[in-house]
Amino acid sequence: MEPNNDVALDIIITNVVAVFRTRCHLNLRTIAREGSNVIYKPEVGKVLMKLRKPRITASIWSSGKIICTGATSEEEAKLGARRLARCLQKLGFKVKFTDYKVVNVLAVCTMPFQIQLIEFTKNNRPIASYEPELHPAASYRIKNLKATVQIFSTGSITVTGTSVPGEVQVGSSEQGVERTKTFPLVKQCRLKYR
Amino acid sequence: MLSNSSPVPKLYISVIDDVIESMREVFLDEGVEERVLEELRQLWESKVMQSKAVEGFMKDTLNPSNFVLQLPTNYAQTLRKPTASIVIPAGQNLHNFTAKANSSSTLATFSLPPGVSYPVQIPAGVTLQTSSGHLYKVNVPVMVTQAPGSHRVLSQPIQHVLEQREPVAHQETTTNSTVLQTIAPPVNDLYNHPPAPTGPVIQPTEPQPVACQQLGQGQCTSTELPAVQPPVVQKLLHSQLPPESPSDSPFTLEGIDFSPQPLDMSPTSSFVGQLTGLQEKAGQMQVLGSEFGGREEEDMNNAEMGTLPKVTENTGAVNLEHSEDSVKAALMKAVSYNDLLDIVQLDGVCDSSSEEEQAAGGPEDDFLGMINAEALRALQEGDGSSDGGSSNSNNSDVEDVMPEEEEDPLNSGDDVSEQDIPDLFETDNVVVCQYDKIHRSKNRWKFYLKDGVMCFGGKDYVFSKAVGEAEW
Repeated sequence: MEPNNDVALDIIITNVVAVFRTRCHLNLRTIAREGSNVIYKPEVGKVLMKLRKPRITASIWSSGKIICTGATSEEEAKLGARRLARCLQKLGFKVKFTDYKVVNVLAVCTMPFQIQLIEFTKNNRPIASYEPELHPAASYRIKNLKATVQIFSTGSITVTGTSVPGEVQVGSSEQGVERTKTFPLVKQCRLKYR
Repeated sequence: MLSNSSPVPKLYISVIDDVIESMREVFLDEGVEERVLEELRQLWESKVMQSKAVEGFMKDTLNPSNFVLQLPTNYAQTLRKPTASIVIPAGQNLHNFTAKANSSSTLATFSLPPGVSYPVQIPAGVTLQTSSGHLYKVNVPVMVTQAPGSHRVLSQPIQHVLEQREPVAHQETTTNSTVLQTIAPPVNDLYNHPPAPTGPVIQPTEPQPVACQQLGQGQCTSTELPAVQPPVVQKLLHSQLPPESPSDSPFTLEGIDFSPQPLDMSPTSSFVGQLTGLQEKAGQMQVLGSEFGGREEEDMNNAEMGTLPKVTENTGAVNLEHSEDSVKAALMKAVSYNDLLDIVQLDGVCDSSSEEEQAAGGPEDDFLGMINAEALRALQEGDGSSDGGSSNSNNSDVEDVMPEEEEDPLNSGDDVSEQDIPDLFETDNVVVCQYDKIHRSKNRWKFYLKDGVMCFGGKDYVFSKAVGEAEW
């Protein structure tokens, strides 16, 4: 399905989280001592390494598992992860770039109108949940996409979910699909145009 | 006490001393000669000096507090105008000098910066204390100058010439004391001072270089009231020539002898410190030396009572309290900081542009060895091809399911190598310190550091606290 053309809304991916494994043990102290742009957190047992170029932050564990966050697109996430692995390689570890997987993509979209959450929840009773005391947004899950949509009364909508494995672009496009599905639902409950 | 002297040379010297001393036994146990230890020390010191990382690293002349000025209360006001009364021509630390002075109302004490180049004008009513604790009370505005060569000579335009000179501390002690004693009472009488020990006599001399001979004669050139004078004083220090003087220290108060026994050496007693002053003529020193020898006899012989009253009148204006011997030595040492620049204390916000390293105190949250890492990386980049990856060609696709192809060789990482400005930290600015707290919010960092040494722009600085901010 095409993304929301009719509405011409911009879905902006704000965060992509990916993981990969290096298949080798990493000495965190060595990384902390010799790496650049690293933050060592011994109490947790990980090292944060930040990259500037694709602006990403990676959590590195001694087991060799690395979580890479902060990228703005899936390609960037992949690129950043590889750069990171390259950094570790230069520090002397025999890293392999394996099991790369995007685990989460967060996209944000803003409606030009405010939304009545209570009405929305009523209309979408089974799948939508809204607990104002817990969280100011109404959320509902889309099982087939494994995505969660959070709708705020201001009209901001965040979609967070995983891409289907094996498809690079599916994440963002999925979000787009999401939008089109969500939009009509939301539009019904809009309060007023901004 | 306000001190503008740099703590760095002292610190380094103390470090060197400690290390050498503690190694002495080890060396001896190992059967290594002490000479080797001394060589090590010399080598060390010369290296430090050569590196020019520390200014004024002159071991022999370092002395903690050079001059401590104790100002009477009424001085607080005067001090408000920095340049009014206390003029340090060198212009160094003037602001610190006076700023601190303002802080204390009753007793303003601050040290002359070691790097002050003489002449220094010291207003009247000031009590000077040398590093070794000798007190000189200045009743007349004095100008402390430094004689060229090895002697610190204080020129003085003051007319009153009091001459008195002491033999070397350990020589002619008795005679000197005798002489001074005889002189002292009259002086004291005049000024209601308790019997004062001998002390160097300040000789106010003519503005123009007055021959020591004249001084030697104890002539009182003029009876100008001190107050009228331009701020000059002199503390003429007569460096004792024949007797040994602390050879290395250019400024020796050898001539001053304060034999404690008969004299009240307490700092609070009002001595009549008497320093013999020499004009800034190195040549005169020699002359003086001999002259003083002669004078001394003269003094001894005459007990110059006659001259004394006159002298004392004038002396009254220039009244130094002297509490210890070797004041000269101390003064010399203290004053010999000419060449020492002032290193402003670098407490406070410290520019975070310098690289940071943290001491073993804590490796957390720091940019450990960034320079080294970057340099290392640069080197490794030069090495080129990937190490860990297999030799497969680029395979930028996501890894396949097959285990043997899971690896997605990172030699393709060659293409994705970061080049992330690894040469950001080519500078050698290094800070080695301990941290109180390192804080980060997103990419804003705040550093609260303590007890550190840093090399910045090739120079070394020491701090006890440093605060920094940076953006990554």
